[in-house]
Amino acid sequence: MMDILQLILLWFGIYYIVAVSLNMEFGYAGIPNFGKALSVLVGAISVGGILNRLLIWYFGVKGDLIEGSTFAIARMNEIIAAHPLAGIFLLLIAILLAMVVGFVVGMIFILPSAKLKADYLGVTLLAISEAIFLVCVYNLSIIGGYYGISTPDILAFAPGEKRGWIFAGIVLVFAFLSFLFMEKLLNTPYGRVLKAMRENEDVVKCFGRDIMKLRMRTMAIGSAIGAIAGVLYSFYTGNIVANSFTRVEWTFFPFLMILLGGKGNNKGVALGVLAYVIVIVFLDIYKYDIKEIFHIPFEPVWLTYILFGITMLLILYYKPTGLIPERPVKTPPVKRIMED
Amino acid sequence: MKELLRTEGITKYFGGFRALHNVSINVDEREVALIIGPNGSGKTTLINVISGTLKADSGKVFFKGADITNQEPNLLYHCGIVRTFQTPQPLKELTVLENLLIGAINPGESPWKALIYRSWLKKEEELVERAIKILDFLKLSHLVNRKAGELSGGQMKLVEIGRALMTRPKLIIMDEPIAGVAPGLAHEIFSHILVLKTRGISFLIIEHRLDIVLSYIDRLYVMFNGEIITEGRGEQGIKKVLEDPKVVEIYIGE
Repeated sequence: MMDILQLILLWFGIYYIVAVSLNMEFGYAGIPNFGKALSVLVGAISVGGILNRLLIWYFGVKGDLIEGSTFAIARMNEIIAAHPLAGIFLLLIAILLAMVVGFVVGMIFILPSAKLKADYLGVTLLAISEAIFLVCVYNLSIIGGYYGISTPDILAFAPGEKRGWIFAGIVLVFAFLSFLFMEKLLNTPYGRVLKAMRENEDVVKCFGRDIMKLRMRTMAIGSAIGAIAGVLYSFYTGNIVANSFTRVEWTFFPFLMILLGGKGNNKGVALGVLAYVIVIVFLDIYKYDIKEIFHIPFEPVWLTYILFGITMLLILYYKPTGLIPERPVKTPPVKRIMED
Repeated sequence: MKELLRTEGITKYFGGFRALHNVSINVDEREVALIIGPNGSGKTTLINVISGTLKADSGKVFFKGADITNQEPNLLYHCGIVRTFQTPQPLKELTVLENLLIGAINPGESPWKALIYRSWLKKEEELVERAIKILDFLKLSHLVNRKAGELSGGQMKLVEIGRALMTRPKLIIMDEPIAGVAPGLAHEIFSHILVLKTRGISFLIIEHRLDIVLSYIDRLYVMFNGEIITEGRGEQGIKKVLEDPKVVEIYIGE
């Protein structure tokens, strides 16, 4: 049972970071970012593709990326085992790196929106993200592709049984920081103008705002935050396999979590993420029991997808505002007027 | 009087349909100019071209002597031009107060500055105060925290006007500002327009309800089939326009 709790907390943290950044892009700014998975992949590339190469270079290991990583990481893990701070330092470096790369990628990624709107933009972003995903899967020299690549064990100093909890703790700290950051960033005129842009771009344009600039900045920040989740996930699994950064898990699930919790509401999103993570964790653990009990005539792995579809339909049909509806952006003076 | 806005020979086609043909108008500083004309005569197309929402096929638009033809709307805003829309375009999920606040730019709309609260808080206080004053005038105070999507059509119009008043523009372009607004309130809106005029704001207005607006305007243009067919200025000039047989036939005689 404790293992299940640990898994739930861990996945909650990782998914919250993705969902809260997507909430800024989609829930606030109305950008249909169906390529959210790309920002998570960018986090993995920052660890597997950049950090690993730096370690290989630093330790002077010979061989290609996949082979070299194994040796370089063995050396790094020895250092971390002796100096716990080195592990934390490595994590912070990786996150900083991923945020910088995510920031730049996000800014470039949204450029098609200059010509495209709504569904067309969504499909284009999905296509770009899928193309990059496939290149990463089949080109082994980026992050090891389908073959996979090891990542440094940032908790090499910690004894076995505690590792999961420490990692869940680290993830939750970053999830909480993302929440605080978003609340602070979006309860401002910036958050308000994003919502206005979501409601009607033309009005916002007629009142002097540069829509493209707003979108680029928003996607840059959103992707930088999303990349943090990619870093945490890569370190957690200890082994990056490019195949795991699918659109279903890292784009569609976060979308559902936002719609379930309440789009445009960072607390609602937390509730949506928690609810959905609990369900998928339990479903994953007990899927074979469920198959037995209900005599399900197909592979139980599909249950997650079926559940995804049904939940999405039910929300959109019966509760489009989500569990906690959106609230107006509360800058201090606006808050005062609302409380009068 | 100093010239503020001038168009020269604006022509606009939608496919093979000629929506505007050689339209030249003037709006001076501290002037309220009105355009009338039957449906489909090109009034809205003209102000869409002026406000940058549509691109002209030929012709020029000058504002304070500078060529602003086919500029993006967000740049025109910074020149001092704002507009309202014929069908109200409220930001539906936002409150009435938020709708007004979008009318003026706050430095805190940049994400970098947003995190430093003191860089925008003072401006925000100022804008909220201004918005409350405008809502008071428009008699919308009781709706301040309501979502704009829940308002009636007339109330939405008022919110749009309120949003346009949030800045200190040089020219406000209004597309049927009082359509669907009760006559008493319509007169009040126009008397406010007169006050704003004395503060140096000019207006370019499209409106059908001549009975209400006639006493407030300084200049009148009549459009028909994409062309300006006649114009007049001052009390005498406007009177002459309205007695013009062509105008009586196509507009008033309908």
